[in-house]
Amino acid sequence: MSHLSTQDIDRLAELARLSLEKEEKEKLRSELGLILGYVDRLQKVDTAGVLEGSMLPRLDLRADESLATNASVRERILVNFPDRMGDALRVPAVFEKPKG
Amino acid sequence: MSMPLFLGQTITSSAEALEKGEMTSQELTHAYLGQIRGLNGSLNAYISVFDEQAMEQAKASDTRRASGQTLGPLDGVPIAIKDNILVQGTRTTAGSKILEQYIAVHDATVIRKLKAAGAVILGKTNLDEFAMGSSTERSAYGPTKNPHDVERIPGGTSGGSACAVAADMCVAALGSDTGGSIRQPAAMCGVVGLKPTYGRVSRSGLIAHASSFDQIGPLTKTVEDAGIVLEAMMGSDPRDQTTVDAPPLQRGNAKGLQGVTIGLPKEAWGAGMMDGVRQDVMEGVEVLKSLGAEVKEVSLPYTDEALAVYYVLGPCEISANLSRFDGIRYGTRVEGNNLIETYLHSRGQGLGEEVRRRIMLGTYALSKGYYDAYYRQANKVRTLIRRAYQDAFKEVDVLLTPTAPSTAWKIGEKISDPLMMYLEDVFTVGINVAGVPAISVPCGSHEGLPVGMQLIGNLFEEGTLLDIASAFEKANA
Repeated sequence: MSHLSTQDIDRLAELARLSLEKEEKEKLRSELGLILGYVDRLQKVDTAGVLEGSMLPRLDLRADESLATNASVRERILVNFPDRMGDALRVPAVFEKPKG
Repeated sequence: MSMPLFLGQTITSSAEALEKGEMTSQELTHAYLGQIRGLNGSLNAYISVFDEQAMEQAKASDTRRASGQTLGPLDGVPIAIKDNILVQGTRTTAGSKILEQYIAVHDATVIRKLKAAGAVILGKTNLDEFAMGSSTERSAYGPTKNPHDVERIPGGTSGGSACAVAADMCVAALGSDTGGSIRQPAAMCGVVGLKPTYGRVSRSGLIAHASSFDQIGPLTKTVEDAGIVLEAMMGSDPRDQTTVDAPPLQRGNAKGLQGVTIGLPKEAWGAGMMDGVRQDVMEGVEVLKSLGAEVKEVSLPYTDEALAVYYVLGPCEISANLSRFDGIRYGTRVEGNNLIETYLHSRGQGLGEEVRRRIMLGTYALSKGYYDAYYRQANKVRTLIRRAYQDAFKEVDVLLTPTAPSTAWKIGEKISDPLMMYLEDVFTVGINVAGVPAISVPCGSHEGLPVGMQLIGNLFEEGTLLDIASAFEKANA
């Protein structure tokens, strides 16, 4: 199951939103193959009747109260935005630019 | 008075000297800033240095002390922070190009607590990008060098922090540990590194790598210092729901080890370990025996499987956690002809090779048709690994292994072989998979390079680890 095709890598790069050079894709195909070859040992472990591990050593999560938001952080957050016009955040259009 | 008098300090020695009035925090901080200026060019331990802010914090500490309002052992002590932990108003890069211009919006909880304890923050230390790697070669800001041999790696991913402590460019430092990133560089630089129990320390303000594994912990010159830093930053935090109201550190008698049982997992002591490492750690075991500890072989199954679990679940969490770095929500934007191209280019150009590889791996493991075989199965094996640790702790108080299978390797030696690099984590990742605490303490050197011994404890048993490590440190001094 660890054999990846060139098409698989193209699809994964698209899903992961990563533009990759052709060379890197080819390299990834063999590297991911090797890594998957190693992790495939998990398939041999008998896990019949075993529950999936929770990410927590303990399951008694607290019900924390919502934290009040401090309005003074607003400018500090805005300053990190890649592109803004005054207080408006500029983002690329969701639909493509019309041709021409 | 000449400058070197103020250097070579531990937290306890500086606290004592400050208390006795032998030096001020400003003198101490000034000396460490000078040491950074002198050494950072060759070692590249720091990405950012806060000269002015550090001196201001030191001055405030001296003022508090003068008016009898000292805050405790960390007041006025200069420390370094790994650059994936937020310090408000300063740049936090996580070692990535995509966050080159990111200014932290707030203090991480651990920073808030350390500031409240009076600590002086010298700057931010280098790391593998987003804390992914084992050598600190994967930083967009260049590799950090090992102070014991500048042609070698310091370990990773908290390599900048380990180097800064070992080269005396700070009194103590913070790191983060997802699969060994505090303990392995501590071992390779010859310092102490502690990964607390999952849930002991808040990760609020730590840039997430793999959230079900990440913990923040100290890198220090002594075991006692590691305990001081841990006590200052641990505790439940409403900003991190995984934190629990854990019992305080149970510190006992750190002199003798009568009645302590130490287990050597036979699976970990097999092949694939450098002879010099094996010899040094076995000598360490003899020291522990001479202190009265009972040492026995135990079984800790699934050692190789733990590494496999880590390299499935880790990338899955990475692919989700790092989706926010897209040039829209976070990070430098590289404009394309349309939205999708903007995402593709911002991420493709802003994220480094190892990060891209893990995102691709995680995307694969989570994709339709493979989720059950990889993510779900790895999570089930994780349950078995947790049980294996719990079973082992029914027989022994702590487990002991080398921290890493080898000493520091040459820069560039393993960079082109990702799987070989992943195998370097074989002794440390299982601990993060199980969520238990572990400490690396220096136990000699091989061909001039430090070797670390790892002690692993049961959940929330950091006190036991610190006691045993401290007894060992004193006997081995």
